Amino acid sequence: MRSRLLTSKAPLPAILALRYLWSTRRRASTTFLSVVAVGAIALGVFALIVSLAALSGFQQVLRTEVLARTPDIEVELPPETSAEDAGRAAEAVRALAGVREVQQVVRGRGWLLGGGRVAAAELVGFDGSLPPSFPGASARSDEAAAGGEERPGLWISRRLAAAWFLEVGDLVDVVSPRPTLTPLGPRPRVRTLPVAGVYDAGKAAEQERSALPLDVAESLFGPGRRRLLVDAGGSEEALEVAAAVEGAAALGPLLPDGARVATWQELNRPLFFALRLERIFLFLGVSLIMLVAALALLADLMLIVANKREDVGMLLTLGATPVRLRRAFVLLGALLATAGTTAGGALGVATAVLADRLHLLKLPGDVFFVEHVPFLVRPRDLVLILGITLALALAASYYGAHRAAALDPVEALRR
Amino acid sequence: MSVQVQAQGLVKTYRDGARRVEVLKGVDLAVEPGELVAIVGPSGSGKSTLLHLLGGLDRPDGGRVVIGGEDLSRRSGERLAAFRNRTIGFVFQFHHLLPDFTALENVMLPGRIAGQPPRRALDRARELLAEVGLSEREDHFPSELSGGERQRVALCRALALDPPLLLADEPTGNLDPASGERVLELLLALQERHGTTAVLVTHNPEVAGRCARVLVLDKGVLKPQSPASRGS
Repeated sequence: MRSRLLTSKAPLPAILALRYLWSTRRRASTTFLSVVAVGAIALGVFALIVSLAALSGFQQVLRTEVLARTPDIEVELPPETSAEDAGRAAEAVRALAGVREVQQVVRGRGWLLGGGRVAAAELVGFDGSLPPSFPGASARSDEAAAGGEERPGLWISRRLAAAWFLEVGDLVDVVSPRPTLTPLGPRPRVRTLPVAGVYDAGKAAEQERSALPLDVAESLFGPGRRRLLVDAGGSEEALEVAAAVEGAAALGPLLPDGARVATWQELNRPLFFALRLERIFLFLGVSLIMLVAALALLADLMLIVANKREDVGMLLTLGATPVRLRRAFVLLGALLATAGTTAGGALGVATAVLADRLHLLKLPGDVFFVEHVPFLVRPRDLVLILGITLALALAASYYGAHRAAALDPVEALRR
Repeated sequence: MSVQVQAQGLVKTYRDGARRVEVLKGVDLAVEPGELVAIVGPSGSGKSTLLHLLGGLDRPDGGRVVIGGEDLSRRSGERLAAFRNRTIGFVFQFHHLLPDFTALENVMLPGRIAGQPPRRALDRARELLAEVGLSEREDHFPSELSGGERQRVALCRALALDPPLLLADEPTGNLDPASGERVLELLLALQERHGTTAVLVTHNPEVAGRCARVLVLDKGVLKPQSPASRGS
């Protein structure tokens, strides 16, 4: 039986919408426009999901790389803080709840000289063990392998070691921009250190970073530049512990006056801001595609309405209210929009997940810091994309439906 | 089921650019319950306009239409739609069947619009299609039916809810003489059997001649047809 739809218990608007959706498949002109409208929505959703997933993937890799090299909390002590005061502050902070480890460091910039080559480097003078921001460290040398203890010296990145053909034990000159005044005039401060080991700098790092013993660093840069690196056991905990440190500092003489406490968030604020901005602009750009898709849907609906003018006129004559006709056309638009959104969404998520798992998009590893384009589909993005698409498409449907329902039956039936 | 139809001083004006065209200039009409009245007149005399006003599809610029004691001008859009659905059956020159629905579904439409259970609308549609000899064609789409068959389906649709008033606008105007005769006979037979009040607009004197009373719409005014012209 061919007339099953109207004999079903479905409400009239749903019956009309379904039948028009079906009938549009039989009519070449509206079929083409419906396919274009559904295709445009699907393509827009697909593009938005895949591009946001690629961006999220890149950003996640970058964030992980950057966070691995950022302390949870860094306390900047005021200039001219004596080594004793710095030590006392470190002890006091270490005693606070939630603090796992406190390490004193000195930061500065300088140059590394070795074998006639020179490289600018960020220098970190450390006390105790190598800070966590120098991951993957190894001091492989015959001496160390033989059970010899870790030699104080310079820790350089694997990249630099490879480029300069340096091995553990080779000597490198470290030059400070701060000169020493001598009777012969200012002379650069130079310390010659053996390479103590190498670490993994990560591909995101652009500048060479090297670590050296605290006392050597202080002799290069001068005293009174100490900072405390606080390990709070994680990014989330860091925020609470930082508040605790600040609170305790405000109550008593925990830290010298003028000390500043910064969390990993504050230390990377410009980067995180840039990442957020990037996402927002990409989203706005691709949202324009959705707007175009919604307009295509509107054009399609208007064509269907023009095509069904006589039907609308007759339905009004038979006593169907404009409200019910509007519902029918809104539903038709919603069906087209849902088809497009579902198809685009499924295709986008599948593409992103597969491309990430199978490493479909390869990148030259020596140029980029990853070997393939990483994709990360965030549920929040997905909800936002689908929500915005459906909202735009429904607005277009409502407008088209409104035009259909506003037809004058006498005019609509005139041939 | 039948109702009385009354129109008093109906005025309808159209704008044609800067020109105002007064199509109806105070039309008075009274149709008794169960009566079959034909309205004749030359093309463009306003017959269809009058029928639209009687059916509540359009609103007059002056005067009023009262059907079964209900003043249509006092009904709002939604209540007027419900009134049209329940009270008036329309047949037009063109069948205006919904091309995406089968003959059976087209006849079921008024019932579904009225909120009838599908089963009831289905049974009623089958009964009507059988009455006009289209039982075999109920699952055909309008494009698969002949002109006469389409108009018979349209007639069934008009009578689906057993309306007390039937308004027909040139119901045979688009058909060949044989099909036209068949549709007209059916219309008259159904009207008589159901006791429906009916107003039939036509420019065909032969068709008008089959009706109990004939009125002429000329220059915007409705007049009884003179006995002399009736005989011709």
